[in-house]
Amino acid sequence: MVEFKNVCKAYENGTLALKNVNLNIDKGEFVFIVGSSGAGKSTFLKLIMREETPTSGEIIINGRRLTELKHKEVPYLRRDMGIVFQDFRLIPKMNVFDNVAFAMRVVGANQRYIKKRVPYVLELLGLKEKAFCFPNELSGGEQQRVGLARALVNNPKIIIADEPTGNVDPRMSFEIVSLLEKINQRGTTILMVTHELFLVKKFPKRLIQINKGEIIHDSKFEEVHYES
Amino acid sequence: MKVSSLKYLLKEGFKNLFNNRLMSFASIGVLTSCLILTGAALLFSLNISSALKSVEDKNSFTVYLNDDLSNLESVRVGEKIKNVNNVESCSFYSKDEAIEQWKDKLGVLFDGLQGNENPLPNVFHVTLTDLSRYSETIAKIQTIEGVHSISDRSETAEKLTQLNNLVTSMGFWIVVILGCISLFIISNTISVTMHSRKLEISIMKSVGATDSFVKIPFMVEGVMIGIISAITSILLLSLVYKTLTLSIEQVIPLSTIPFLSLLGNITLGFILAGITFGLLGGSISIRKYLKKKQG
Repeated sequence: MVEFKNVCKAYENGTLALKNVNLNIDKGEFVFIVGSSGAGKSTFLKLIMREETPTSGEIIINGRRLTELKHKEVPYLRRDMGIVFQDFRLIPKMNVFDNVAFAMRVVGANQRYIKKRVPYVLELLGLKEKAFCFPNELSGGEQQRVGLARALVNNPKIIIADEPTGNVDPRMSFEIVSLLEKINQRGTTILMVTHELFLVKKFPKRLIQINKGEIIHDSKFEEVHYES
Repeated sequence: MKVSSLKYLLKEGFKNLFNNRLMSFASIGVLTSCLILTGAALLFSLNISSALKSVEDKNSFTVYLNDDLSNLESVRVGEKIKNVNNVESCSFYSKDEAIEQWKDKLGVLFDGLQGNENPLPNVFHVTLTDLSRYSETIAKIQTIEGVHSISDRSETAEKLTQLNNLVTSMGFWIVVILGCISLFIISNTISVTMHSRKLEISIMKSVGATDSFVKIPFMVEGVMIGIISAITSILLLSLVYKTLTLSIEQVIPLSTIPFLSLLGNITLGFILAGITFGLLGGSISIRKYLKKKQG
């Protein structure tokens, strides 16, 4: 599903964000990515989403070689992904239903399918009663569940969650990861960046640690021990 | 693109126009001014061309007499003009009659200019039998003693052409400058909309919206600015043109082109120009924005 071969990324200002990264994430895996600020996690996600291109090396996502991908093909790559942001990124003037439906409208879904699919996803995430609430009427946890619903509504093959629990309390964090686990059990690959080690401990998943642009641990190949 | 998407994008474009109404109003104002000036220069030019043609087709001219001639001497000059071959008629028009007529038209401006203060000369209006012998006849009349000058068609035509050239070149530069200002303001208006919707654009891009999907609402906004400006300028131009031609026709016996006969072409031209400006202004800002946020 996600393959990095000798990937390096250097920015114009000379910062070397990723150094010779080799990685393989299979379809249906749930992977935690951890690392301190500036370790290269954001660059790693940006490369997967093709917001950035590598300086050298090769990235293959869902069979697509990103280095050979034309600009006009990028939207179709992203339609296979669902992105969850730390700051939720909900549109304040739209209610919950419309925030989720927005992701479907953008990819040209018809109104009849939107009316059927959005309530289904909202129910799945326990948001059925909140469909006509606006983001400012929701708690942080609820807002993030709306973000998750929006990421899920187009049936993505992979969900990329960039610190999705960063702005919610621990109980809600636990709930959100549980939801991601449920989604993963249906076959969707999950890639989650986090700082919260209690979640990593609570959910025994593959763990990749990045430091100074390099993968220093990958639990698929070695035992990792964290101290909280 | 699917019909449902197109409907949604058109709706978004209209919403942009309304939500950003102050800037939209400014864009419409400047583009309207630009179109009105273009239209005014065009109408002026068309009217001058039509006047030129009517001057060229005219078989009459005015002969101005020397200022020091008495009415009796003037009548004698008239006899000589009548005797010139190819002159069909020759009617006297005294300077007193002329000043009275001007006074009727323009009132107080001509008060106190009667009698010795009258600056106008005595004139004869001459009509020819054969227009093809125009220059030859003029040359003969010119040699008659007491004739000061002849207002012939080539002089009038030259003056009209000079005026037309002046207005056309001035109009061209004014339109170019206003056109650039319009483009700048339209692209800034759309830029403001884009920045106010950057969250939506970033979400659109993250879920896989194509560039054209992102662009269309802003292009619709530009086109709407263009169409509204075109309609406003046609209405204003027709109003100004009618008022102006009515006042001119009261003073000068000039037949102007009726606005209705040009309405079809002006509407088509203005709407096309409005749409082009709107699209161009929109695409400048969209291209800049997407390039900056590429990815």
